[in-house]
Amino acid sequence: MTTTSSTSSLADGGGARPGSYYGNGIPYLPIDGYPGKIIAIEGTDGVGRSTQISLLREWLEVQGYGVIETGWTRSELMKPTIELAKASNTLNKLTFVLLYATDFADRLEKEIIPALKAGFIVLSDRYIFTALARAGVRGVDRTWMRSLYGFAIAPHQVFYLKIDEKTLIRRVLQSRGMDYWESGMDMKLGDDIYESFRAYQRSLLREYASMADEFGFRVLDARRKVDVIQDELRRQIGAFLAESEAPPARPEDLRVV
Amino acid sequence: MFVTEWNSSALVKAATKAGKKKNALTPMTFSLLHATDFADRLLYNIVPPLKAGMIVLADRYAYTAFARDAARGVDRRWVRELYSFAVQPDMAVYFRVPIEVSVDRLLARRVKLKFYEAGLDMGWSSNAIESFRMFQGKVLDEYDRLVEEFGLSVVNATGSITDQQRTFRKLVSQHLEIEDDDDQLDEQLG
Repeated sequence: MTTTSSTSSLADGGGARPGSYYGNGIPYLPIDGYPGKIIAIEGTDGVGRSTQISLLREWLEVQGYGVIETGWTRSELMKPTIELAKASNTLNKLTFVLLYATDFADRLEKEIIPALKAGFIVLSDRYIFTALARAGVRGVDRTWMRSLYGFAIAPHQVFYLKIDEKTLIRRVLQSRGMDYWESGMDMKLGDDIYESFRAYQRSLLREYASMADEFGFRVLDARRKVDVIQDELRRQIGAFLAESEAPPARPEDLRVV
Repeated sequence: MFVTEWNSSALVKAATKAGKKKNALTPMTFSLLHATDFADRLLYNIVPPLKAGMIVLADRYAYTAFARDAARGVDRRWVRELYSFAVQPDMAVYFRVPIEVSVDRLLARRVKLKFYEAGLDMGWSSNAIESFRMFQGKVLDEYDRLVEEFGLSVVNATGSITDQQRTFRKLVSQHLEIEDDDDQLDEQLG
């Protein structure tokens, strides 16, 4: 069907103000002025996202912040359907994308927006960039994907835990092994799961890399030790929170540089 | 000839059903679930018969989503872009009835109006019939926009079934450039 070109998408990526909708958003849910913050941790499998998030949560809560965690495909509405669909292998790239978007919309309206309103910090284990990357590798139209996620809210900070292909493979094999979807077997790149996994994850890494500038990722080297990465996350998040809580600058504080 | 119905794919049936039962769907998830259903049917039920040169009769199409989702306050342009993966139908027919006729028919048909059909999720009125009237009124307004925007053919659906079918067949025959056989209709409908 015909599409009108418009501004209702996140086609201009990082152009959106943190904490506001990328596109026209959800008209019946205005979010302007909500005090909460979204901090997203992105990255492929095996980069240690959940470890970092639970450490961050503890650190923030000790300082008195209200924190909620949200994660990909965890919505009450969609989790069973997504699991079933993955198991039954009837998904195609379009329904795959749309099921994820429905899951995200459910969590956005029921978890993320209420938390922002109440002044919480939302720690998001993966965000829409995972969806964009997975769809990108599968050849789904980029403009359409960005328009689809025009109802998403631009996070205040996005940390991308970057890893190289070799380390990624070793970590995944050491933990739980390669599964059908993580190996991109649906893309029918070949029967060899190892080769398929490699090719798929390599393309994913390329997709993430291509979004780094567009969406202002803060890139962290995920090969370093857990506590080194955690220190870096805390330093950057701490600085951001201190800055956003500081009283507005008075005119006499402004200096011409 | 192949017939496909709105909201009939097995893929999202469980989620839609569960969500509807618990009244847990928001306008956005309602919209996205129906788009997922549509995408599933498009790939399995619509595109293959089209490729085989068959006629696909779709009982509701993307326009239903355009009208209903917008009536629920979802961004109009967003819904249109969402469905831009859909095949543009060769012909789209809109059966139009005034809101009062629609209310009467529904009341005659069954006792209780469905929660989402009546727009009770919007919280405009706790009275189901009143809510239906308000919600479907907005849906009809949206359809009027669509008639113009997408050039839908309109059939006056207040008339008898025979009259409607006669108009419908005329429209379809013109489109397909086939002979319109009125005698056959009289035979079928008595």
